[in-house]
Amino acid sequence: MKCIRWGLVKQQMSVQLLVRTLNFFSLSLFILQPAVFSAVGMLLSHAAGNDVPDLVYSVIGGGIMGMWSGIVFTSTYDITGDRRNGMLELITGSPTSLASVEAIRTFTNVLCGFFAVLIAFSAAMFIFDYSLNGANLWGAGISLLILLFAMWCSGVFLANFLAWSRISGTFVEYLEMPVAIFCGFMFPIRVLPDWMQTISGIFPIRWALEAMNESLLGMRDVRYLAEHWLLAIGLCLLLLVATNWLQNKVQDKIRVNGELSSI
Amino acid sequence: MIRRLVRTVRLYLAQAWLSYHGRFSITNPFGYITSKLGFPFFLMIFFIFMGKFVGFSDPLYIVIGNLLLIPANNGMAGISLAIGEERGWGTLSYVLGSPAPRAPVFIGRAIFYILDGFVTALLGFGIAAIIFRMNLGQVDFYLLTLCTFLLAITASGIGFLFGSISLITRDGWTILNTFIQALYILVGVNFPVDALPGALQKVAYCLPLTRGVMAARLVLDGAGWSAIASLIGGEALVGSLYIAAGYAFFLWIEKRSMQSGTLDAV
Repeated sequence: MKCIRWGLVKQQMSVQLLVRTLNFFSLSLFILQPAVFSAVGMLLSHAAGNDVPDLVYSVIGGGIMGMWSGIVFTSTYDITGDRRNGMLELITGSPTSLASVEAIRTFTNVLCGFFAVLIAFSAAMFIFDYSLNGANLWGAGISLLILLFAMWCSGVFLANFLAWSRISGTFVEYLEMPVAIFCGFMFPIRVLPDWMQTISGIFPIRWALEAMNESLLGMRDVRYLAEHWLLAIGLCLLLLVATNWLQNKVQDKIRVNGELSSI
Repeated sequence: MIRRLVRTVRLYLAQAWLSYHGRFSITNPFGYITSKLGFPFFLMIFFIFMGKFVGFSDPLYIVIGNLLLIPANNGMAGISLAIGEERGWGTLSYVLGSPAPRAPVFIGRAIFYILDGFVTALLGFGIAAIIFRMNLGQVDFYLLTLCTFLLAITASGIGFLFGSISLITRDGWTILNTFIQALYILVGVNFPVDALPGALQKVAYCLPLTRGVMAARLVLDGAGWSAIASLIGGEALVGSLYIAAGYAFFLWIEKRSMQSGTLDAV
């Protein structure tokens, strides 16, 4: 049984990488878009009279932005493409659940998105001489893992949200920038007005990212970091519960209607 | 002569209406409004907070720049989508195999995108005036309209260039999107062109939109025709060159792609 599962994971990841992820569109999302956002951040900083830009937010934040954009569009386009090609019913009707397929696909997308973060880190270190001296590496590492988990949970949720209703696609595509704003991808959350900070509390990515950024800036307060980690994990679990609910709804719908293309 | 002119105009308008109606009648009002104002609005907010964080003290500069890019985006995307979507649905070979003149078929489709972008930008200015308390009292609206419309038209030259790329690759739309992202750096949308490194400033002045955005900013600051005449002239000249080059490139690629049979290759 375990071999079959591992085979499924390997095969799905391989297909996802070759067919959907490693193409010009995705590479543009993962590499070029973060570079543009980072450049805008640095040039804005220059125009504001700063000699040195904030590398954690301007450069590494650009990588996070690339990871998020990649996950939003690859995960949602997967479902949109499946629906358009009439594959959604076949996947839902196959012995492998749609949840498993989406979980593996999104995991692959997150790994590819992580590539954007790695490039951003490398650019910060090797081009802009960013130093990790003084950074809380353990805190940053744990926060990064939780951030990847939060990204995965969000991607799986969005994919299932799209499977649940075709109309949700209109809504999901426009989540890219609002989530980037509310989670403070390229600026600290404290820049936002109070009411926006309150709303941003519902996003697990926000808590994990804030902990990672603060760790990179030297934060060593274990209680502060632990609070952020626990909040992120708790919200991720809520997202997974919601995803499971959507899954059941999709199964119910296909049993009643026999198709998922028109919903 | 007049009959031929009327026929040509009718062809352009019919293509424009059918294309626009076909694209937007299938969507709902929410989808339409979010596609028009949603992404540009949130992107603008994102840049404003980035600016606030780094100490860029003029959020209105970012607001105006992003609003001015809306008609330009529509101008670029209109033609590129017209070509790219034919290819995507596998109907491009039928269109190019027909004796229909190319200009009405493809430029005609861009007309409503240009008008739509223009109206959206004006609407955006109205909304921005309310939200960000922009002072529009001293603005010459005829000049602002001229600048906004010119931006949409000159940007269509870039649309032709990238639309032509759609004839030979399925990534034409993605390549255009990547280019549009570069415009957020190059044409003075979020910060002045002077803030760019020297080489990039030269690139910026070789692109359409740079002078048009500058002219529109001056108009919003209360400047008159004499202050913007040279910028408008420069924008029209650069834009015309891009439109001519784009159309010539389109015809050349069309000829090449028909010879090699790569029209619908994916």
